[in-house]
Amino acid sequence: MKKTAVSISALLMAFSLAVSGCGGNNNSSNSSNNGGEQKGSNATTATAAPSTKPVTLNAWVMPNSPKPDADFLQTLDPYLKEHPNVTVKVTVLDWGSAWTKITTAATSGEGPDILQLGSTWVPAIASMGGIDKVTDKVADVGGAEAFLPAIWNTTSIAGDSEVYGIPWFVDARAIYYRTDVFKQAGVNTETAFKDWDSFKSALEAVNGQTVDGKKIAALGLPGKNDWNVVHNIFPWIWAAGGDVLSEDNKNVVFNEEKGLEGVMFYTGLANEGLVEKSSLEKNSSQIESDFGDGKSAVIISGPWLAKNFATPKANGGMDDKKAAKNFAVAPLPAGPGGQATFVGGSELTVFSGSKNKEATWEVIKYLTSDEAQKAYAQVSGQLPAKLSLLESPDLDANMKAFSEATKYGRTYPAIPQWGPTETALQKHFANVWDIVAGVKGKYSKESIKEELDSAASEVKAIINQ
Amino acid sequence: MGLHTENKLPANAPSGKRGLWRKRVKDNKFAYMLMVPTIIFMMLVHLLPMLQGIWMSFLKLNQFTLVKYLKAPFVGMDNYIGLLFNSDNPVRQGLNFAIRNTAIYAVIVTIGVMIMGLMMAMLLNRDFPGRGIARTAMLLPWVIPSYVVGVLWGFMWQQNGIINYFLVDVLHLFNDKPFWLLGPNTIWAIIIPTIWRGWPFLMVIFLAGLQTIPEDIYEAATIDGANKLRQFWNITLPMLKPVIAVQLLFQIINNVYSYNIVSTMFGNGAGYPGEWGDLLMTALTRQSFGYWAFGSGSAASMMLMFVMLMVVGVWYRVFRSELNAQ
Repeated sequence: MKKTAVSISALLMAFSLAVSGCGGNNNSSNSSNNGGEQKGSNATTATAAPSTKPVTLNAWVMPNSPKPDADFLQTLDPYLKEHPNVTVKVTVLDWGSAWTKITTAATSGEGPDILQLGSTWVPAIASMGGIDKVTDKVADVGGAEAFLPAIWNTTSIAGDSEVYGIPWFVDARAIYYRTDVFKQAGVNTETAFKDWDSFKSALEAVNGQTVDGKKIAALGLPGKNDWNVVHNIFPWIWAAGGDVLSEDNKNVVFNEEKGLEGVMFYTGLANEGLVEKSSLEKNSSQIESDFGDGKSAVIISGPWLAKNFATPKANGGMDDKKAAKNFAVAPLPAGPGGQATFVGGSELTVFSGSKNKEATWEVIKYLTSDEAQKAYAQVSGQLPAKLSLLESPDLDANMKAFSEATKYGRTYPAIPQWGPTETALQKHFANVWDIVAGVKGKYSKESIKEELDSAASEVKAIINQ
Repeated sequence: MGLHTENKLPANAPSGKRGLWRKRVKDNKFAYMLMVPTIIFMMLVHLLPMLQGIWMSFLKLNQFTLVKYLKAPFVGMDNYIGLLFNSDNPVRQGLNFAIRNTAIYAVIVTIGVMIMGLMMAMLLNRDFPGRGIARTAMLLPWVIPSYVVGVLWGFMWQQNGIINYFLVDVLHLFNDKPFWLLGPNTIWAIIIPTIWRGWPFLMVIFLAGLQTIPEDIYEAATIDGANKLRQFWNITLPMLKPVIAVQLLFQIINNVYSYNIVSTMFGNGAGYPGEWGDLLMTALTRQSFGYWAFGSGSAASMMLMFVMLMVVGVWYRVFRSELNAQ
């Protein structure tokens, strides 16, 4: 009888293991199979024209827009109409599992033709031999000068002149503020975001303003439980005149006096009561929805939030919120070292295992044309990567503010070890936020310095390996 | 399972004699045939990846050598030596916190789910109206995927969340609303949801175990004047011992290898749960896969596996008599 009980438990165990084993999230979808979007399925069913040989290209993209696969194909539609022999199949990877899939593909040689890579990934995948050099073809897409310099920096491995990717779109961080709250507090928005001092006094003025019977916090900022911890802090280090690594990428410098000053200013805003402390537990999207709900008067975010405010509630947007009608975008304030912001984005690359490299390059060429850049920026809410379009008068006021921000945009060193470096930074910056929240020792310049120093020694071990 | 087939043999058969052994193999030919598919699948899904992991732990396998994969440079015991003796080794950073947290977490969760599960099983073992509904309702936490548990509790633990609302605004247990997702409290923020999700499974197992205990033993004890507590200590617990033994092992292994709830509660797996929230599995994942130090990561996993094998060995010695009893 005991045996029965034991075998029942063994069975249940096996069952529970089987259930818990299905945890992976595999978001790849093939647009030619789902046929959800009219234009998408038209494009993928395009068949061979007698003149040229038919080719099928596989593209791996990230969820850059609300309907990633259909939006991508819609952007390509004019090209596919002109080249009926080309069929493009889209697989959407999610950012969480993309890294594993891409490295697996790079290792085995089995993968897509067109591959989207986050800008900080390009040097790493290039160093693994996963993507092809496109140095001699750069002229086809208008040359390096045609693109935003900050993002172009990430198309090569630092210290090497070979080019591995073509910038596709970029994003930048800027300030979103509540125009109504600033008006109510009598703060001049022309001067408020000029430099650190004016920014801080503006925050002090709007802090605790009563809006619709509720007190509003000056600033909303995510603490450590966020995937952007590193991107949130570095703009302040750059603005203070600090940097991540030395010019030759051999030494760590972010923990020096200037970097420390930047971290102290940014975390000081939270320490001095300008931030609702509970926001330190939240992540970027929770902070964004708090801003939408009128819990904070200022946040720092990317162009996608403006897109979100313009999207109807029924489609998952926030256009019904009061903040959606009362916000404006301003650049980050200048610190002692000038203005700076984090610029991220994605690049298009030719996968080294591709069997149709020429056709792949033609598609990439089309995606970086003015026409496709404009169309894709429209659907994704991201910024085009080409300078001529960033300066175009067609952009709306919010996008103009972001385009302005990209001018002093900065990117991380294009070293192959950036991924591990970011992981290490994330961990130690998380401890900084614990100190700010008052749950890990006392907040002081010394305690923050100590944490930055231990981050620096870990990063040094990584870049010297 | 292995235990099961062993039980099929006569308990006192002299296994040393070859002739007898051969005869027994012959007699059980059908049983062996039934086991073949399982063995093949176990080889494929368990043994081969494990061998690969052991091999990887002797290679210098990082982002620069990943393309060569299993043909990456062989470095012998370097990965192990680095882990044990080099304090700058990336995989070692913060590992002492993770070991401490995992020990606390595994012990409290294991004890917590066993006690909760046993209590609830005994409660539901009585006959009362609506018992079926109560059983189903109590299984709910176990049915919820751990991903959802992590995300939901992540919201509930927020400083302005529902848990602090009950603790502070309703019960007035604290003066200020504490942080649960930052600092030392994090360990509770991961232990409690794990227990919450884990106990219903134990309840089902214990319920099955309780139902195998014949009612007449309790009746006899009652006639002899044993009270309920006495009956619990002298009848229920000893009769459940084999079930408890198996579950104890399963829970310890499961909790030491726990990953999902922590990883989903803290920023989509990208985040760092902090010095009081990091478990062995989250730490090893971050410090080896996050740092692309696959060789060192495999070596660390192998060492953990070795420690767990020792735990299983100790467990087997302690409970051997119960497991072999007929």
